[in-house]
Amino acid sequence: MSSDGNSHSRSWAAGLILLLAAVGSAVAGCLGVAVVATGDRLGVDGFSDGVEPALGVDGLSGIFLALLALVAVPALLYARTYLRGSRHATALAALTALFVASMALFLAARDPVTFLAAWELMTLLPAAAILLARDEAGVRSAVFVYVAVTHMGGVGVWVAVLLLAAAGGLSAPGLADLGTGGQAAVIAGAIIGFGTKAGLMPFHSWLPRAHPVAPAFLSALMSGAMIKVALYGLIRVLFDWVAPAPAWAGLVLLSLGALSALGGIVYALLQRDLKRLLAFSSIENVGIVVIGLAAAILLADAGEGGWAAIAFAGALLQALGHAATKGMLFLLAGTVERATGSVDLDALGGLLRLMPWTGSAFLVGAGAMAGLPVLVGFAAEWMAIRALIELTITAADGIAVLAAVCAAALAATAALALLCFAKAAGLLLLGAPRRREAGDACDPATGMRAPAAALAALCVVAGAVPGLLVPALAGLWPLGPAPAMAVTGGLDLPGTGSLPAPALLAGIVVLTAVLTLARGRSRAERAPVWICGQEPDQAFAWTSAGFTKPLQLVLAPLLRPERSVVVERSAGITDAVTYAGRVPHRFDTEVYRPVRRFALAAAVVARRMQSGSVRTYAGYLLGALLVALAVLRFGVLQ
Amino acid sequence: MIAAAAVQLLGGLLLGPLLVGSIQTAKARLQGRRGPSPLQPYRELRRLWGKSAVDPDGAGPLYELAPPLVAAATAIAVLVVPVAGVPSPWGFGDDAIVLLALLAVARFALTASAWDTGTGFGLMGAARDLTIAVYVELLAVLAFVVAAIPAASTSLAAMSDAADGWEPWSSAGHWCAAIAFAVVIVAETGRQPVDNPDTHLELTMIHEGPLLEYAGRDLALLQWSAAARHWIFLVVGAELFLPHSGGLWLRLGSLVIGLAALVAALAITETAQAKMRILRVPGLLLACSLIATAGVVATVGGVLA
Repeated sequence: MSSDGNSHSRSWAAGLILLLAAVGSAVAGCLGVAVVATGDRLGVDGFSDGVEPALGVDGLSGIFLALLALVAVPALLYARTYLRGSRHATALAALTALFVASMALFLAARDPVTFLAAWELMTLLPAAAILLARDEAGVRSAVFVYVAVTHMGGVGVWVAVLLLAAAGGLSAPGLADLGTGGQAAVIAGAIIGFGTKAGLMPFHSWLPRAHPVAPAFLSALMSGAMIKVALYGLIRVLFDWVAPAPAWAGLVLLSLGALSALGGIVYALLQRDLKRLLAFSSIENVGIVVIGLAAAILLADAGEGGWAAIAFAGALLQALGHAATKGMLFLLAGTVERATGSVDLDALGGLLRLMPWTGSAFLVGAGAMAGLPVLVGFAAEWMAIRALIELTITAADGIAVLAAVCAAALAATAALALLCFAKAAGLLLLGAPRRREAGDACDPATGMRAPAAALAALCVVAGAVPGLLVPALAGLWPLGPAPAMAVTGGLDLPGTGSLPAPALLAGIVVLTAVLTLARGRSRAERAPVWICGQEPDQAFAWTSAGFTKPLQLVLAPLLRPERSVVVERSAGITDAVTYAGRVPHRFDTEVYRPVRRFALAAAVVARRMQSGSVRTYAGYLLGALLVALAVLRFGVLQ
Repeated sequence: MIAAAAVQLLGGLLLGPLLVGSIQTAKARLQGRRGPSPLQPYRELRRLWGKSAVDPDGAGPLYELAPPLVAAATAIAVLVVPVAGVPSPWGFGDDAIVLLALLAVARFALTASAWDTGTGFGLMGAARDLTIAVYVELLAVLAFVVAAIPAASTSLAAMSDAADGWEPWSSAGHWCAAIAFAVVIVAETGRQPVDNPDTHLELTMIHEGPLLEYAGRDLALLQWSAAARHWIFLVVGAELFLPHSGGLWLRLGSLVIGLAALVAALAITETAQAKMRILRVPGLLLACSLIATAGVVATVGGVLA
């Protein structure tokens, strides 16, 4: 192993790499914002179908470059402190920097080869980084599932892009002569390919495995940025290359989006591992973005261009808001893990008092994820629900009813998110520490504190003035003129009671302050909490499972929880009772497990064909020749 | 205009406890008791405001912040709810979805306060409240969708105007939505069969659970908020789903009649109906969601026909 001086110099190198990468992403983000603000384009205008590398940035790429910078700059700066003194710091820093660069390359690619190459790098680089950071059996298996699932799903991207490139559909968007079947293949390939990487249910299996095992900054990059970059690919296909997308694509996306939103948040709130909870909640948020995109397709199809643009802007706003919030929450989860050695919610508690910076930032993030108004995220959810209601008002009967049901599902999703993040914040931040190790945790150094604090401030500010962002986002609507919108702090959309976010925030803050003063602080005395007169005891502390039990009981027919109670008795006296309960992930047990079993069985059969004997292979050749001759003779090919 | 704004502000801030007191009085009469005066909640608020508080051990900043925050969010929600179809002049808009979200802020704050004390009964109530809220929000949005279709807007004032006169009552969708919203009112005001506001048994509490540790002015703020929720939901119910017509004063008159009718209906339900098992409540709410979905189907078909 190296000497101390050597490892110090290497960690210095890691810091430099991360700083350069952060500066680079900040510059790319600023370029993106400039492109969105001015409406100009950088580099090559439009896509080419050829193989020569081409780079360029238009409005859509620009807004996602800004999103990437939003997550990457804080995450990379956080990593500078986080990686100090850890093993393989330089290599990890380099891989992380390359990962960010590959995402930027994917966004700026203007030819199919660069596009697909960056797409594959974006999958492989974080896998390598995770393996480098943690080489354990469980982690290896999680990374294998990640690479396998995203690669199998990623085939869809290749199919879609190569079909489009062959038909000249990249250079002349919307005009390629693909035919109905070709267009269907492109759309299906894009939904499966990009949907897998975005964590859309039911292709999400890798996400709750891979995000929790990664180091904090990498989880933040994957959950905050990578899955949104995959959504950029989906948007590029549906709203640019095959635009206008047919209504069936909208219906499919609406169904998958609603499934992801509801399924993601239900499984999120059942988790007691903080990072798994955050990962499942990312699936929910991707679902909400996809619902917005689906509403945009269907509204455009119904001739409601203005509302389609609003739904599209809402989807982009949701992506931006989730990037900032989830990026921050994963960084904070890393901080908590460092400080307490655990991300098990049942083992933590009281961190708001012990780690005021980390705790306050987490509280803001939890409120934003819970969809509280005047924090980032609510405005986007409000726009999505309102766009679905507009679809109910204007679209054909069947679509109208589906849209109404999806609007109700989104409302239920918001309420479930409240339950989920009230639980997470409560277990993590409030009450007394549930375990001794958590008792002497404290806030980290500025290098890890400042990035999260900056993102928390952003969540509050962006939530207070959504009206400053939405007109610019609606201006990116590719299929028609953007609706005229006043640039004010609040959102005053036609046909709504308006969302005056700055007034709401000011009203709540001022009234709370006034009422706090009116109440005064004439506290008489302290008393133990009421537990029917018993002495409070740590054994009464509430757990994650306890808080979500009512919902789990109500949803039992859907979730099928497993429980076992073993009572040990001897001579009529109960000696011990052991209880174990868990909620299996039904997508794993009922979708992926049968598929895996079938694949393994098929592999066994295939292996039997590979006997290694020359005579068998000669037999295969002879058989193939006979079949070919028969085909020629009987003219099946004509 | 000014009259409507005044009713909105003063009624919302002051009349919530009267609604609660009236329900209690009417319920007592129906049960053959004399019962307290309808003004009893005001006396209780005055008494609580004069009392000193007792903080539970280990309570942190969120426990202390929750009562003012809950009351502030509820007060803003009161100002979002227009009366007599006059758009609210207070600068907070009048959007139905925003109204639901403001009440979610109060719910989040109260749950956080329960976590902050770590009290078992508070968390039990909060967990149940949040579980039931999932179904209530689903149901409320479906009811609002039915009301929003003829108005082509989610503004509460526009929806109220679209429900003007007798015409909406010839639409099957309006009936379905009215039934659905009636159940929303029962659930959100914490009334039987969903919750029992009179219970003193900690194990059966839902909305009362997180209030258990509070005393003095904190409790007064929270009880005022619970009363103001009665105003919010009864007014929205009367404005959107009960008959009303005519100019401002006629509308205000029909609002008063509507509120009286809803108070009487709640008192009768509480007398006739026992509390449900908590785990059966979501089933009731889901059944009502089916009714509301049928209402969407009927309204969508009716609009296009």
